[in-house]
Amino acid sequence: MGYEEVRVDRPLLLRLLPFISVGTFLLLWEWSVRSGMVPEVLLAPPSQVFSLFFEKLSEPNPDGAVLAVHAWTSLQEAFLGYGLSLLVGIPLGLAMGWFRIVEGIARPIFELIRPIPPIAWIPLTVFWFGIGLTGKVFIIWIAGIVPCVINAYVGVRMTQPTLIQMARTYGATDWQIFCQLCVPSALPMIFGALQIALAYCWTNLVGAELLAADTGLGYLITMGGRLGRPDIVVLGMVCVGLSGAILGFIIDIIEKRLLAGIRR
Amino acid sequence: MSSSIANETVGSASVREGRTLWEMLTNTYVLYFVSLAGFFLLWDRVAYLHVFGDSLARPHVVAQKLYMLSQVKFAGTNLAGHIWVSTQRVLIGFGLASVIAVPLGLFMSLNQYANAIVKPIFDLFKPMPPIAWVSISILWFGIGEFSKVFIIAIGTFVPCLLNAYNGIRLIEPELYDVVRVLGGSRKDEIIQVSFPASFPAIFAGLQISLSVAWTCLLAAELMNARDGMGFLIKRGMDTHDPALVLGGMVLIAAMAWLSSLLISLLERKACPWKRSIENL
Repeated sequence: MGYEEVRVDRPLLLRLLPFISVGTFLLLWEWSVRSGMVPEVLLAPPSQVFSLFFEKLSEPNPDGAVLAVHAWTSLQEAFLGYGLSLLVGIPLGLAMGWFRIVEGIARPIFELIRPIPPIAWIPLTVFWFGIGLTGKVFIIWIAGIVPCVINAYVGVRMTQPTLIQMARTYGATDWQIFCQLCVPSALPMIFGALQIALAYCWTNLVGAELLAADTGLGYLITMGGRLGRPDIVVLGMVCVGLSGAILGFIIDIIEKRLLAGIRR
Repeated sequence: MSSSIANETVGSASVREGRTLWEMLTNTYVLYFVSLAGFFLLWDRVAYLHVFGDSLARPHVVAQKLYMLSQVKFAGTNLAGHIWVSTQRVLIGFGLASVIAVPLGLFMSLNQYANAIVKPIFDLFKPMPPIAWVSISILWFGIGEFSKVFIIAIGTFVPCLLNAYNGIRLIEPELYDVVRVLGGSRKDEIIQVSFPASFPAIFAGLQISLSVAWTCLLAAELMNARDGMGFLIKRGMDTHDPALVLGGMVLIAAMAWLSSLLISLLERKACPWKRSIENL
């Protein structure tokens, strides 16, 4: 590249501040519980959460499973639901963007279902599928499909009309334009959808598990709340947050690899 | 003929031909009608044939249920009361969060010291799904009104702040250059460029947080509540009354849709220059 990277040295204070602020935050948290300002039944200090983490790796009590089992259950549900929503949502969105008939048929139903918060499906899925894997996968699927459809649709719609006209001038068929022009140009939007859908799936996974589950990270949080153990609640929240962040990070890396040539 | 957007883009240049039967059948509105009619018919048949046992109510039963609820009191208040209670919670939580988050996000993107202090802590909390806060908010605030408002505020805080922050960071630098060339100061830059140019992003954030707010409200009300739309759904679940569950879902979807419509109207008023991509 013809560019030379310009390095601007940021002031030392500015580089240190993030560490200081996080450190202060954790210390304040720890201190406020230790000193009794916040009662121990309401909040667990970070050190306790940290030690509980190692304890829960091998200790199934009091919520019935070790941490790995909870995490594995949640991951399984999330991945199944997420994968299914990508599998259905992205082709549907692409087709809705390009084919008028598909749009005419699918859009009204999609618009009807879209504003319903996915958690609202919980009672029906419990009626229909029980509290097993299927029900939760269904809720996560519903949650993930919305951003997939929207982004794929908008991605196709934002294809440059000039390019389409040029392809047409050279005698490309509708199908060729769709495959070779619209789909590639929608790719950045679709990858955006991967991230959003993951976040949605992860949020609603917790929701689904809060109400109907017997293992899983969301269940861990609920049980902690029922047992009055703030350390378990906080541990569950940290685990959910961490695993969500790690997954998002992985998708980010894949995206950068795949879309290396496309500038956004 | 016109089966794709390619033809629509050149449609203005082409001469309209006479309408064939096929074109009339594939008219967008005809398709919309067919699809909606098909959806409701399918729903009705599935419910009628007891595909899911007695766990799916027919559409007209749901409508009847809603009508009945609007007439008689259910758990202390009628339908309008339940809707209003839920809306109030969303408004308070959403209002609180956006009033704090948007200015904070703007400030963070304008002042790098504020950014260095707040951003890391914010990044710690960001990946936690708002619903994960339900349990701890019940521990802290009991099952009263405040615990629900708290969850909604937590959930809406993140997208509001993030969008306000990115809204300013992603402004095209050329816009600043213009102000500088015209001899503007840093203050002019902020007032003339940063704020207005971040409006669309802020509104997008409000839009997202509104939908998050309804989700959080539902989670909070499903866990514990004595009134509100989530309560209706929960009660339907506990008493195995699919009509009530579906009625609650319809209501909450309608409210979510209405509120997002309201925000888009506001947005159109606040930033009329925003290029409208034909969006979903």
